[in-house]
Amino acid sequence: MFGQLSRKLRDTFAVVLAAGLLVACGGSEEEVSTGDITQEVNDYYAAHPELFQFKTPADLPADLSWENGMELPDLGSPEATKGGTEYNYVQDFPRTLRYVGPDSNGAFRRYLLDDVTLPLAVMHPDREFEFFPGVATEWAVDQDSATVYAKLDPDARWSDGEPVTADDFLFTFFFYRSEYIVAPWYNNYYSTTFANITKYDDHTLSVTMNTAKPDFFYHILDLRPEPQHFYNDLGPDFVERYQWEFVPTTGPYVIRDQDVVQGRSISLTRQDDWWAKDKKFYRNRYNADRIVINVIRDPNNAFEAFKRGDIDQFGLNLAEHWYEKLPNNDPDVQAGYIQKEVFYNQRPRPNYGLWVNTSRPILSDQHIREGIQYATNFNLVIEQFFRGDYSRLNTASDGYGEFSHPTLAARPFDIDQALEHFAMAGFTERGSDGILVNEEGQRLAFTITTGYQTLADVLTILREEGLKAGLEFRIEVLDQTAAWKKVQEKQHDIALVALGVGVEMYPRFWDTMHSDNAYDDAFLEDGSVNPDREVKVQTNNMEMVAIYEMDQIIDQYTQSNDREAMMEMSHQMLEMHHNHASFVPGFVQDFYRVGHWRWVRYPEFFNHRTSDSASQLYVHWIDSDMKEATLEARDNGEAFEPVITEHDQWREQ
Amino acid sequence: MFRLTPETLKKLSRFREIKRGYYSLLILGFLFLLFVVGELLINNRALIVSYEGELYFPTYGEFHPGTDFGQSYTYETNYRDLKDAFAEADEGNWVLLPLVPYSPNENHSTSGVFRPEPPSLEYRHYLGTDTTSRDILARLFYGTRTAMFFAIAFTVAVYGVGIAIGAAMGYLGGTFDLLFQRVIEIWSNIPFLYMVIIIFSVVPATFAVGTRIMILLVVMVMFSWTTMTYYMRTETYKQKVRDYVASARVIGASDARIVFKHILPNVLATLVTFMPFTVISAITAVTALDFLGFGLPPPTASLGELLKQGTSNLRTAPWIVTAAFSTLVIVLTLVTFIGEAIRESFDPKKFTVYK
Repeated sequence: MFGQLSRKLRDTFAVVLAAGLLVACGGSEEEVSTGDITQEVNDYYAAHPELFQFKTPADLPADLSWENGMELPDLGSPEATKGGTEYNYVQDFPRTLRYVGPDSNGAFRRYLLDDVTLPLAVMHPDREFEFFPGVATEWAVDQDSATVYAKLDPDARWSDGEPVTADDFLFTFFFYRSEYIVAPWYNNYYSTTFANITKYDDHTLSVTMNTAKPDFFYHILDLRPEPQHFYNDLGPDFVERYQWEFVPTTGPYVIRDQDVVQGRSISLTRQDDWWAKDKKFYRNRYNADRIVINVIRDPNNAFEAFKRGDIDQFGLNLAEHWYEKLPNNDPDVQAGYIQKEVFYNQRPRPNYGLWVNTSRPILSDQHIREGIQYATNFNLVIEQFFRGDYSRLNTASDGYGEFSHPTLAARPFDIDQALEHFAMAGFTERGSDGILVNEEGQRLAFTITTGYQTLADVLTILREEGLKAGLEFRIEVLDQTAAWKKVQEKQHDIALVALGVGVEMYPRFWDTMHSDNAYDDAFLEDGSVNPDREVKVQTNNMEMVAIYEMDQIIDQYTQSNDREAMMEMSHQMLEMHHNHASFVPGFVQDFYRVGHWRWVRYPEFFNHRTSDSASQLYVHWIDSDMKEATLEARDNGEAFEPVITEHDQWREQ
Repeated sequence: MFRLTPETLKKLSRFREIKRGYYSLLILGFLFLLFVVGELLINNRALIVSYEGELYFPTYGEFHPGTDFGQSYTYETNYRDLKDAFAEADEGNWVLLPLVPYSPNENHSTSGVFRPEPPSLEYRHYLGTDTTSRDILARLFYGTRTAMFFAIAFTVAVYGVGIAIGAAMGYLGGTFDLLFQRVIEIWSNIPFLYMVIIIFSVVPATFAVGTRIMILLVVMVMFSWTTMTYYMRTETYKQKVRDYVASARVIGASDARIVFKHILPNVLATLVTFMPFTVISAITAVTALDFLGFGLPPPTASLGELLKQGTSNLRTAPWIVTAAFSTLVIVLTLVTFIGEAIRESFDPKKFTVYK
């Protein structure tokens, strides 16, 4: 529910800037596409012989061990039936139907890309890094050369009927490295991550990474093809030309031109003859014939629409929704028309907490930071504001399985300890307003900056509690972009921020804790602090962590390909980070909650382990007969058994 | 000694005759009195604490750590708990709490979770609590106080600037007038609310709440003084050619004296008439800004913030919106009544018939 400032947000800024430039020079440069991209693509392949290679099936190594993941359990429920229309909502009409380039990284993208299209192979949501087929039927991982070989499914088709071939994957590299798409993050990712892509025949290919990190195969298997035949007109006018063009998809849903009603609604239609509809892992999913998504700008109105039955399901993550607006004794819930479900999932957690800028005068003092740790009452917030549903975050990298620290715990709220630490830093006296002051008369007051309007209440609670320990938090709630910019410019004292993460095997440290991202030349040759170092802006090291020993470990960690060693280093770094006390761990939500009308059916087990929301994996289905019966029953005042279920099979203790 | 002219006395007695406006003024005056001594009525600090034979008056002045009254903690005394503790110990110590023993910022939950709670006499939350269990009456009271004082300061400032510039335009005329007319035309076309939002979004939060209120005031005055100038200008033009101005000039009065001593009293009726509406527009503007989230920083109490909470919890906590909305309506109505009465009593034509 709370928007997370994703790591990609930074790239979005770059994207937005670039778009501005493009518009600015649009007048002078009247370039238009040629209408046939083939020649340009082939020239590009020829110009980069290292990256793009063409071989024959005979060149495939003989000793590969091919896997296909078919032994993994199926997803969804065999009871699922196809059909029906699902009604949903978005807060803003999507600004584009592209899924790359300016404005494409919005809430709607999951309907176009993330949740619906198929990569080479998909990580099984109930297992740790085990894969089942996507557009590939088989793949082989060669650890030593950091290469994955894949055989494409001959059945795989784009939604316009064209077959998916190895050429589409080669084109993907051309596409994402191209400047036409105005997406610097992708440009950089595709330029620096992969060493080679080789085509053996139309349905066989291999991709090689630059480094053999323990999870390198995940990044390769996660590649999604781009349809070369569709992007024939690719050129400098990409952004405008493809603004409202639906890109052919490997997934089940298409958006027809007539289903895009600007500013009001947009609908997805299931392809009757989708190539993967009878395949294992897909046969029980993507069940609704149509998904109608209406624009409802105000969340309160959206909730009312849900209560009327105009929307089929509604996220109830906020305590306000779960307990106040749709309590268990709500007539619609008691009559069984609306069902409430809680599902505990397992995935890396967004690390909500206070990021303390250690380059600030008073905050550079270790004792002050430890005092702040003890003076921040997140436990009260969790117990009384979130009503005990959330848990305390313990480190900045929770939810990475064995890579997360097994024992570290966040420091509790403890006024005496806080006062003790503040006193060690020279803040011994309380001023006339109860705030601590030091001998120079400085008050112990810091500003907390946040971009989350919904979390302003949390900050007011922290403020009131902090006063007890003689610490004043001033609250600054900014617009999301403005807050993020301020933090990226390192202009904050303390920031309430969370970095969002997808399912990854191990945490990243370089971004947030390496001195490279804090200062220019943080240390001298001998490891001592460089007195002339300058703050480095526009990085994710928001605490300005610069510890020489930490740098050494991060460098080793980045280079290491050994899982065990990396795990150990990860624990070591998390301990150092804990001792540094620059991050006050906040809270973590280890579940999601949803309310849905009775006719939206879910499997017995409700959902799979790593799902981030109820509809992410499309295991639900719409029972049209039941919808009719339920509406009739509601009109006649007949009731059903109320259903309020907690699915805790994946709950972590 | 300041003496009122018979003319003014007549206007005042006419104002008294208009009951609706007169009583509105009395009520509002009473409200102001309450606002001034607000801390004595609505506060989490006790009025009087009698501890070991000594009397303490914590309302104004320095904070008392719990240790002052034999408690174990060093932060500000929780006087409500202290009262219970004293009553239990029964050692002759006592605490006198204000009528509403809550500060506008403290989260006081009666059920263990922070949620809106309906009005309750038992817990002395007379108007209930908001979404983080803060007392609504306290927030409403202090929010309205800020808005009212703000509105008055705003009116004074807008009038000061508007009168000075408007009178100068009318009196000096010529190029000065021409120039300023153009400036005002351009200036008044800048959308006011957007400008306030833009400027206020770059004001650093490190400033104290008082400073931020001052900045907001300055910004709002900067974009609101123009309307007043035009009325002032035409009025001054009208008066300037009257004989009494000419005679004053002949006697040798200075320009400033003529404008402020002779012309201004004669255009007072116009100015006074607009005053209540300026107050109203100021209250509405602050409320709107807070509602949009661009006003005062949290946790400052404000009408707009309460309205916002109220509208998003319309079905589950109707007491929030009811309280905020009624207050706004009542205050604005009172000011409007007063305004109408003033206009009527200052109108030289006693029996005006509008056609």
